[in-house]
Amino acid sequence: MSLAIFATTDWETFAQYGINGLSFGMLIALIALGYTMVYGIVELINFAHGDLFMLGGFLAFTILTGMKITGESETLMIAGGLFLCFIAVPIFCAVLNASVDFAVYKPLRSAPKLAPLVSAIGVSFIFMNIGLFWGGPQDVSFPDLIPNDNLIPSGMLDAESKLQFTGKNLIVFAVTIPLMIALTIFVRLTTLGKAMRAAAQNPTAARLMGIDVDRVIAVTFMIGGGLAGFASIIYGLTVNTLTYQMGFQNGLYAFTAAVLGGIGNIPGAVLGGLVIGLVSSYGAGYIGQQWTGALIFTALIVLLVFRPSGLLGTRVREKV
Amino acid sequence: MKGLPTWSFVLFAIFAIYPFFPTFDEHFFNLTNRSLGDQLGGLFLFAVLALALNVVVGYTGLLHLGIAAFFGIGAYTTGVLLAPVYPFNVNFWVALPLSVVVAMLAGLLLAAPSLRLRGDYLAIVTLGFGEVVKSAIKNLPEITRGTQGLSPLAPPDVYGVTVDWALDYRPFYYICLLALVLVFYLLGRLESSRLGRAWVAIREDELAATCMGLNTAKLKLAAFALAAALAGFAGSLYAVKMTSTVGPDAFDFNKSIFVLCCLILGGLGSRSGCLLGVFILYGFDFILSPILDGYVQTWVGPDNKATWQSFSGWRLIIFGTVLILVMRFRPEGLLPSDRVKDELQSGGAK
Amino acid sequence: MPFRVLPVLVLVAVVLTGVFLPRPGSVGDPDVIRIVSSLPRTGSARGQTNTIVEGIQLALHEIDHKVVLGGKTYRIDYLDLDDATAAAGQWTAEAEISNAQLAVRDPNVMVYIGTYNSGAAKISMPILNKADLLMISPANTAEGLTKPGLGDRAEPMCYRPTGRVNYLRVVPTDDLQGALGANWAQDLGCQRVYILDDTEVYGKGIADQFEKQARKIGLDVLGHESIDAKTQEFSALMTKIKQTNPDLIYFGGTTQTKAGQVIKDMVAAGMDKVKMMGPDGCYEKAMIDKTGASFLVDRFYCTFGGPTPDRLLIGDGMKFIQKFKAFHGRAPTEAYAIYGYDCAVVAIEAIRAAGKKDRSAIRAAGIALENLSGATGMKWSFDENGDTTMQLLTGSRVIYTMENGAIKKNANGEPMGEYQFMKDLIPRTK
Repeated sequence: MSLAIFATTDWETFAQYGINGLSFGMLIALIALGYTMVYGIVELINFAHGDLFMLGGFLAFTILTGMKITGESETLMIAGGLFLCFIAVPIFCAVLNASVDFAVYKPLRSAPKLAPLVSAIGVSFIFMNIGLFWGGPQDVSFPDLIPNDNLIPSGMLDAESKLQFTGKNLIVFAVTIPLMIALTIFVRLTTLGKAMRAAAQNPTAARLMGIDVDRVIAVTFMIGGGLAGFASIIYGLTVNTLTYQMGFQNGLYAFTAAVLGGIGNIPGAVLGGLVIGLVSSYGAGYIGQQWTGALIFTALIVLLVFRPSGLLGTRVREKV
Repeated sequence: MKGLPTWSFVLFAIFAIYPFFPTFDEHFFNLTNRSLGDQLGGLFLFAVLALALNVVVGYTGLLHLGIAAFFGIGAYTTGVLLAPVYPFNVNFWVALPLSVVVAMLAGLLLAAPSLRLRGDYLAIVTLGFGEVVKSAIKNLPEITRGTQGLSPLAPPDVYGVTVDWALDYRPFYYICLLALVLVFYLLGRLESSRLGRAWVAIREDELAATCMGLNTAKLKLAAFALAAALAGFAGSLYAVKMTSTVGPDAFDFNKSIFVLCCLILGGLGSRSGCLLGVFILYGFDFILSPILDGYVQTWVGPDNKATWQSFSGWRLIIFGTVLILVMRFRPEGLLPSDRVKDELQSGGAK
Repeated sequence: MPFRVLPVLVLVAVVLTGVFLPRPGSVGDPDVIRIVSSLPRTGSARGQTNTIVEGIQLALHEIDHKVVLGGKTYRIDYLDLDDATAAAGQWTAEAEISNAQLAVRDPNVMVYIGTYNSGAAKISMPILNKADLLMISPANTAEGLTKPGLGDRAEPMCYRPTGRVNYLRVVPTDDLQGALGANWAQDLGCQRVYILDDTEVYGKGIADQFEKQARKIGLDVLGHESIDAKTQEFSALMTKIKQTNPDLIYFGGTTQTKAGQVIKDMVAAGMDKVKMMGPDGCYEKAMIDKTGASFLVDRFYCTFGGPTPDRLLIGDGMKFIQKFKAFHGRAPTEAYAIYGYDCAVVAIEAIRAAGKKDRSAIRAAGIALENLSGATGMKWSFDENGDTTMQLLTGSRVIYTMENGAIKKNANGEPMGEYQFMKDLIPRTK
């Protein structure tokens, strides 16, 4: 039956899946960047990152509902509330992430690799429990602030066309693309960014060169956390539902994206995010929505088995 | 000291005579509306699962984040063989070994392609495998009845006498205790065997182990297969205990992590630590929480229960804090095996 | 080594005696008859189970918690058990098994009211059946639990290991509700329908029945797909549905399995003229509060297996609402209050009819009850499967809650909504 649908599908539906997939993929990429940057420097799979994203979403929700902003509020009011969110939530997530690093991971830098990993699982548990207290066990409805009107001019396509690119799609791209450009510039051109790359390549050598590696690590955690904060607001605005469990699944997808792209590799994380977004969108369209998760993880396993360093990663010989 | 050290013998003996003192059970029952013996039966099963994971993570040193998948495969194989929906309806004692075999084959299926991977990548593949299995259970309702689970599963019979443990916890209690003692003993023998020592060699230094002429690929496969088989064994018992395969969410990532937490808390690679970890964490969830929840409820009253007003609502915060503290101050776990302790305390050089 | 053999032998001996030693049975209080209920009391179904419990309490209050059997007065004691856990947020098999075991072990327990979820019933039914304990469900609608031939192979006999019927339910089953939903969709002028379900016992069952009837009465079934309720959003699925151009999407599922998110994503995909219909698992305040009334008004239609609270105001149900108000100080907040009440009425009548404190007698008396009169004032009996003979179903839609001529807003400034009774759904006669 699925194949039959595939055969009869028109280009518009195909394109629509593409738009949806890219939107979702950009979101995942934003979270994946946090995983990949942290891994690049401290070789830690930060399991708590997805739950940090979830807490950011609840903060945005609390700010907006505290200001009594709804879809029917005045445009200025909505813009003000969103502006506040876009300032407060990334800062909150950045500071929280860096504090966790300072309090939990930093004392374990020289411990066996399992120790920080397990600690990260512990932090993830704590965050999830806080989210449970904050939002309750049920879904929370996030204010629907972004108009859902089709932005494609009606003259551009024929009258029967159903293709749509809405405000919700737009805001994903409008926020994520500048952020990614800014991140690239930061990492490539600034001194701190160069220090970051140096520390990722070889922490000891970087330290010998006079780089304050601890500071670089703290900044990395802050940037990762901040990106997760941005992602959480966009998630709330486009999906309109929050739950304390959303960190787990989206975190898992983002983490998979980071691995797909080659963990530690920044463009790789973006590519991995987009691949996951497209796989989940086309998978839901042509195979069945319930198989999305299985599809993503199967793709991950197959890729890792045949190309263990990910799509863009370079194979590093393990040190012995 | 091989197999059954004296302390473990005493411990198991205490459990064996527990049902003779029904006052404990009655007292616990009055407090929590639950039977302690029943919870202990579940705990024994969980200890088997933890010992299974210990083979891969503790002995061989490979991080495995998908043990629940094999637990689920065991449970569902038993479910398919016993459920009235299917025409098989075999005896449980036939289903049990078959479930073990199926789980073991699944373990080999996972291990074979992922042998090349190391460290974190292997962990991710096991995690992904766990999610795929859960998803398959959920989305193949023709086979698994999807989220509903296969039920009811008939309780097993012993020489024609049907053991009905819905009404009396003792038969299941003893079956699980027996299973635990058996697995505990076998793994103890294995620890000091050639195979067990080879696994530890891989954990210590894979390259050196290869240089010594060990076939690491085969050894890793064996570790994965044994862990999967034991997990399937526990899963099969779990399914008949619950009279249902429960549903895909009983075999998700949380379960895998929970088992891993037991191991880490108790001490990786150590059977005694494994038991202790299970006693603490499982006991917390299924024995301590219900008691304290009962007390808390008498303080705050039954109405308008917010999540933070129940003791079990704080579960993840407590778990998380314990994990972090253990990693910070006692990374070898509470009861580490001698070898691991030496390594961690002398910085790896022994 | 002799040290090893001897202890093992002793251990084996101990185990064997442990298994075969008779269990000391507890006697219990001879003056008490206990009714337990097993419902998800924590998590998302709490709102609905609250009213069920309130209904039970009302019925027991009316008889002053006493029955007289053979000249002896028994106190009726009610124990409210939870089959959900805070961690899961919904029912769990472990908790349901524990509750059933508790009921069986406690010699004072004579009636088991539950469960709320059909999946949970599948687990506790065989356990209670073996103990000959009467089980009455206020909310299970999966037809396979009682009706031969409609569920899986071996259903429903696999839930009755003793061969006797011990399970009654006071709600109409899914086969009726799904079918009447399809009829109603046609009446609403919807010809092209797309069907979704959440893969659960209840959701999938009712969606299948909807599909069967929809095909029978000539609706165009454009597709039937299962969703993964753990997923956060369904935009790709909605894009796919959109190209089939439906008039109505039927969602077989509950508030807890993402009914709200499905309708949000339906609107987001540009299908804002499409209607959605759901079964009684969505008939709760939480559905409107969690989704937002603006998504649901003029869009969401909901069937319910019985009269809804506002439907009760028409006719004999008024008396029940008044009694309820007098006892609890307010009208029932959810529709299931009547079924909680009816369950307790059945329990009391069964105990009275049995005339003694004996599980088997009460079970036998329960299934033979006839001409019962509960909350709605209508008479009903149980058929040979334990199903109610009452077959009144209703359809409701969502409207904005009005206050002083304006739409009422909640604390966050969002408009509030409520269900409004539209029509009685009765099987078509040919």
